[in-house]
Amino acid sequence: MTRHWQWRYWPLKAKLLFLTLSTSTLGIVLVCASLIVVENKSYQRQLESELHVIAGILAEQSAAALVFEDNNQLTSILSSLRRIETIRQVCVFDASGGVMSALNSEREESCPDINYAQPMGFSDNYYRLLQPVTLDDETVGHLYLISDLKALRAHIQTFIFIALSIGALIQLGLVFVALKLQRVVSEPILALSGTAERIAQEHDYSIRAPVSGQDELGRLGSTFNDMIETIQQQNRRILESRDSLERIVENRTSQLSLANKELEAFSYSVSHDLRQPLRAIEGFGQALEEDCEGQLNDTGKDYLRRIRAASVRMGNLIDGLLVLSRVSRQPLENQRFNLSDMLQEITEELNDIHSPLPTDVCIQSDVWLVGDDRMLRIAFQNLLENAWKYSAKEEKRVIDVSATSEANYITIAVKDNGVGFDMRYVSKLFVAFNRLHAPSEFSGTGIGLATVSRVIRRHSGDIFATSDVGAGATFYVKLPILPDGH
Amino acid sequence: MSSNTAGGYFLPLLKYFVALLLCAGLLSAQASVRSEYEVKAAFLYNFTRFISWTEQPDNKAALKVCVIGDTPFGNLLQPLAGRTSQGRALEITNPDNIAAKQGCNVVFVSESESRNLPAIIAQAEAQKIITISDIPNFVDSGGIIGYVKQGNVIRFEINLLAANAVGLNINSRLLELASRVIR
Repeated sequence: MTRHWQWRYWPLKAKLLFLTLSTSTLGIVLVCASLIVVENKSYQRQLESELHVIAGILAEQSAAALVFEDNNQLTSILSSLRRIETIRQVCVFDASGGVMSALNSEREESCPDINYAQPMGFSDNYYRLLQPVTLDDETVGHLYLISDLKALRAHIQTFIFIALSIGALIQLGLVFVALKLQRVVSEPILALSGTAERIAQEHDYSIRAPVSGQDELGRLGSTFNDMIETIQQQNRRILESRDSLERIVENRTSQLSLANKELEAFSYSVSHDLRQPLRAIEGFGQALEEDCEGQLNDTGKDYLRRIRAASVRMGNLIDGLLVLSRVSRQPLENQRFNLSDMLQEITEELNDIHSPLPTDVCIQSDVWLVGDDRMLRIAFQNLLENAWKYSAKEEKRVIDVSATSEANYITIAVKDNGVGFDMRYVSKLFVAFNRLHAPSEFSGTGIGLATVSRVIRRHSGDIFATSDVGAGATFYVKLPILPDGH
Repeated sequence: MSSNTAGGYFLPLLKYFVALLLCAGLLSAQASVRSEYEVKAAFLYNFTRFISWTEQPDNKAALKVCVIGDTPFGNLLQPLAGRTSQGRALEITNPDNIAAKQGCNVVFVSESESRNLPAIIAQAEAQKIITISDIPNFVDSGGIIGYVKQGNVIRFEINLLAANAVGLNINSRLLELASRVIR
């Protein structure tokens, strides 16, 4: 709480008020102080001159009485001073310094010996003066007068009281005036700051700050408004361009999905429709081989065998295309399943089919995934088949499947010790009908990895591969970890 | 015994001491109290300082103070000679007779001349001379300033009518101090 007493936490109004009032207080105090000092001086001077006049008159009056040594007359002259309360003592000395007559108020004080130097002027709350009494330029005696300064003190006290009272009144008036006047400065600033805050909170750039006057505050206000105007225009432009972009994207997306659908429908129907003539070729080829084999020479038999092999390969291609089309169109049905078990089954199937090579397959156990298990089976079957196929020419087949999870992703690595591929062509790896090896080396349709890629992508995952030629390849499948049942 | 011996010495010594003290006291008393004519001489000088002539032919000339008759002042007036009064130096003379008091500005009439008083006053009036005296009732006889004694204190009386007749301006301060003013 005490922090709020610090200067920088003060509101602007309070600061302005404080500055105005402290300046005026300083001014008033200085004026009062100087007035008091001046008044004190002038009152002292006035007192001094009054006392000198009194002493002068007295000296003139008492000159005759002094030379004629008429004490009664002197006493009556001096007694006229009794009415002046501040005069404490008056002494009349003759020419040789003897006391001729004295007037004392209250306390009886003996007249000083004027043959010795006495302190004169203002000292110790008294004013003392020694006036020579002259007659024809001859000093015939002296008049000694002491006045106390009670009147001066009382006057100055009254003056201080009045000065301070007037000062306080003026200050009170100034508080009122400052309260009114600080608005002239603070209100445009407060309005500006309020407008800025509203704009920041409501994000409404149509709000404008009120502009008053042509001074710096007025210019600040109009500059602020200009800036807001610019922001508003830019905002509008951004929104417009965003809207148009959205429209374009929407347009393109719908066009694209339409094209995709058409393409899928086309590829499905093509694949499906191609089967009929292929089945005819295959069927009649078989019939030809079985029924007319005797009529064909070796060349004819060879041609027939080639036709049948080609039709089998084409059947495989069509199957692959149908699978690819299916994994593209089929809706995903996510569920949790044990990948390790699935991979184990696939391995056993592969082992049953191709057995001649000693094979060492290591699969990390208890890897669980959430996804469409039918599609993912197709994907991993393809990957394992590839590993199997491309390591067929090694002395011993070594396949390793491991999984690592990080953040929201699980990465499954399928590593083989096969021929590998050239990393320069890695970009063509997952594109349909692109093959990095000649069909004579390794059989294949060129659709397998495209299908894998399609499945993984439909699971919002990613697939990539690393390899060195002759040192095996590793395929990484990176899948998001989905919550169970989705 | 011893106390007697001590008293025998002490008593005369004390008497001597007291006598010495008394003498000293008397001397000091005499020193402070001035003689009657000392005061009168001072007054005489002071009168001149408060009186002026309406028609002053030459106010730079010496102010001549004449004592007529047997002077009671002795040489008490001598210290006044040479002192200035209203810018004029005082000159003290003691003319033998009235005829010789030509040129006097101020005249002190001693008691020895009380019989010639009317003549002196008449002449003084004619010559515009200030007359001062300690002859009793001097002012009633036409004199201008007369000393009177009130107890131990010397005072004075002023005949303002006579002064006006001579053409004198008497300072009001002086009039205030006079014990009696004839006007």
